[in-house]
Amino acid sequence: MNYIKRAIQSLWAKKGRSIIMIAVFSAILIFVLAGLTIRSGAELATTNAKKSVGATVTLSTNREAMFKQQSDSDSDDESSRPDPGSFEQTPVNLSDAKKMAKLSNVKSYSFEASTSADKSTGITPISSDSDSEEESSDEQAAGFGGQEAPGGMSQGDFQIKGVSKSSSYSDFSSGTASLVEGEAITSDDEGTNNVLIEQSLAEANDLSVGDKFKIKDTDDKDVEVTIKGIYKTSDSGDSMSARFNFMNPANTIFSSYTMVNTLTGSEGKTIDSAVYNLDDPKDMDSFVKAANKLIDTDTFSLETNDQMYQQMLQPLNNVSSFAKNIVILVAAAGVIILTLIIMLSIRERKYEIGVLLSLGESRVKVISQFFVEIFVCMIFALGIAAASGNVVGNAVGNQLLSQQTTSQNADGQEANAAGNGGPGQGGQGQAPGGGNGGPGGGGQMGSNPFTQSEEIQELNISMQPTEILSLAGIGLGISLFSIVLSSAGILRLNPKKILIS
Amino acid sequence: MTLSTKDLSYWYENNGPLFENVNLIFEKGKMYAILGTSGSGKTTFLSLIAGLDTPKSGEILYDDKSLKKIGLREYRRKDVSIVFQAYNLLPYLSAVDNVVTAMEIAQSQQADKKAYALANLEKVGITKELAEKKVTMLSGGQQQRVAITRALCCEHDLIVADEPTGNLDEATSGEIVKLFQEIAHEQKKCIILVTHEQDVAKGCDVVYELKNQEFSQVS
Repeated sequence: MNYIKRAIQSLWAKKGRSIIMIAVFSAILIFVLAGLTIRSGAELATTNAKKSVGATVTLSTNREAMFKQQSDSDSDDESSRPDPGSFEQTPVNLSDAKKMAKLSNVKSYSFEASTSADKSTGITPISSDSDSEEESSDEQAAGFGGQEAPGGMSQGDFQIKGVSKSSSYSDFSSGTASLVEGEAITSDDEGTNNVLIEQSLAEANDLSVGDKFKIKDTDDKDVEVTIKGIYKTSDSGDSMSARFNFMNPANTIFSSYTMVNTLTGSEGKTIDSAVYNLDDPKDMDSFVKAANKLIDTDTFSLETNDQMYQQMLQPLNNVSSFAKNIVILVAAAGVIILTLIIMLSIRERKYEIGVLLSLGESRVKVISQFFVEIFVCMIFALGIAAASGNVVGNAVGNQLLSQQTTSQNADGQEANAAGNGGPGQGGQGQAPGGGNGGPGGGGQMGSNPFTQSEEIQELNISMQPTEILSLAGIGLGISLFSIVLSSAGILRLNPKKILIS
Repeated sequence: MTLSTKDLSYWYENNGPLFENVNLIFEKGKMYAILGTSGSGKTTFLSLIAGLDTPKSGEILYDDKSLKKIGLREYRRKDVSIVFQAYNLLPYLSAVDNVVTAMEIAQSQQADKKAYALANLEKVGITKELAEKKVTMLSGGQQQRVAITRALCCEHDLIVADEPTGNLDEATSGEIVKLFQEIAHEQKKCIILVTHEQDVAKGCDVVYELKNQEFSQVS
């Protein structure tokens, strides 16, 4: 083992050369470590993002299948023409929805139902249009619905959105709506007539939390409701809301989904849709598989949405992939640089090698001595890299992520501009569809309740023992490769030529 | 211990032979000199008997065993020590560490190698204080003494030296020759010196001269 001693003596005697070697190795290892930590940071952020974003599965009527069924039935009966007005949606059975909620991996769920209702006493809707308000009052005498939609369908004054938890509803979770007074609708409100009304509606009617007012159900009977909370919304509505009161965001009343059933007379057994938030997007397929066994897939469908998750992961995946390339490139560059340094060093140390060979030392031991020298430098460099790799990793990683996120956002904005908002989280926001003859379909297309989580706005890069071990492994590999590549120079040396010349 | 050459010949490509069919015998307890002018091939001859090179034809026998059979590296490690004109010490080591390094490579059985090296350095006039210094801090004569001690401490029976006094002044040169004589006669080593200096050759027991590709015994 005298070659180890000689290596240490050589390193100590030639301090300048040793310091240069440590500096070069440190630079290599710092970049390798930065790559490793960025990569693991990105992977950790991906895992966190998976957990924070989750995934959404929506149970609702299988419109496509039902349209097809309707169409087939119409074609069988050649004498009759298709009647668009005869299409009826089958509401989701509440017991099926609850069974699905008990499946594993469900983090939270929200049942949703919607309908529209007319005013009765104690409240007047925010008028979208003075003319239509007048029409509305005229129409009330004709039956349910204060306004007449195109096609002769009658509408109410208010849109009632029944939820299991108002805080889970997309408007609230995305920040479009926020509670300003009172309390939110929760599962405790099931079976009650507690509601949330919009701030401007409350102010216009001089209503506050705890006040009661009456609306009409589908049988035109008065239903008394209690104001549990007041919310405000930043949604200013669309062109339709200027024509119909119920589409005015200020006339949206939130209640428990059970109250919607009371208003529609379905006795609390059905809902329009159920939204399930899963713990982890990777469980989505297994969840859908299990859920499909619980429902009639001809009547109901499950819509999955992990697009946001995939979109938010793109920058992380790019950073992770880039970090992997950094590790490979720096390691390869490290091997080349160190090989060249060692080769130059061998030229410089030919005389020493000649002396050792003339004394009968084996070439393997001479190569081993050089390896030990590199290895000792690597140990020092490892310490330096470990001390500074975190700082470099954080700086480089966050810079990369920032660039990737900016690029991703720019791409997303371009795509949105081109695609008119792109796909939203279908099903979470329900327009009045399955209720009292409102215009079906819709949903809050284009709105997306998710925002990028903190984990991907900033990478939290911290070194773990596994990264140091990986770094040590890579450092050892670089040392070995450089020595093996440069050892050809030592193997070729002839002591006679060195010493006698 | 005997070292013998059997029909030893050597030549460089595109040149005539340096020497041909050399048959010499070297024994322990004697000091030999190989005399010759520059370019005569005496250093090449030394490199062959030191196991640094292989002959073009013929063979070298150490205790009647061919060096080919022993293996050149093994021969250098176990049987022969070399002293060079330029000392060839490891410059980053101290005098004593140079000696200890050679002893370790030779797998010396001395229990306390450093103490043994210091004692032998002391014998050749290198004090402990000097022995702890890097060899580059020592004079030429002192470095050559360290090189000789390195050869001595490996406890090999054969020591070959290439122009060991070539870089030294006359007085120091005389001291080194005297030191070699003591080693050969008192420690019963076989010492073969290659030199072009007649004064150095005079101190040897047997002198061969390499002239016109042939060895001849001159004393």
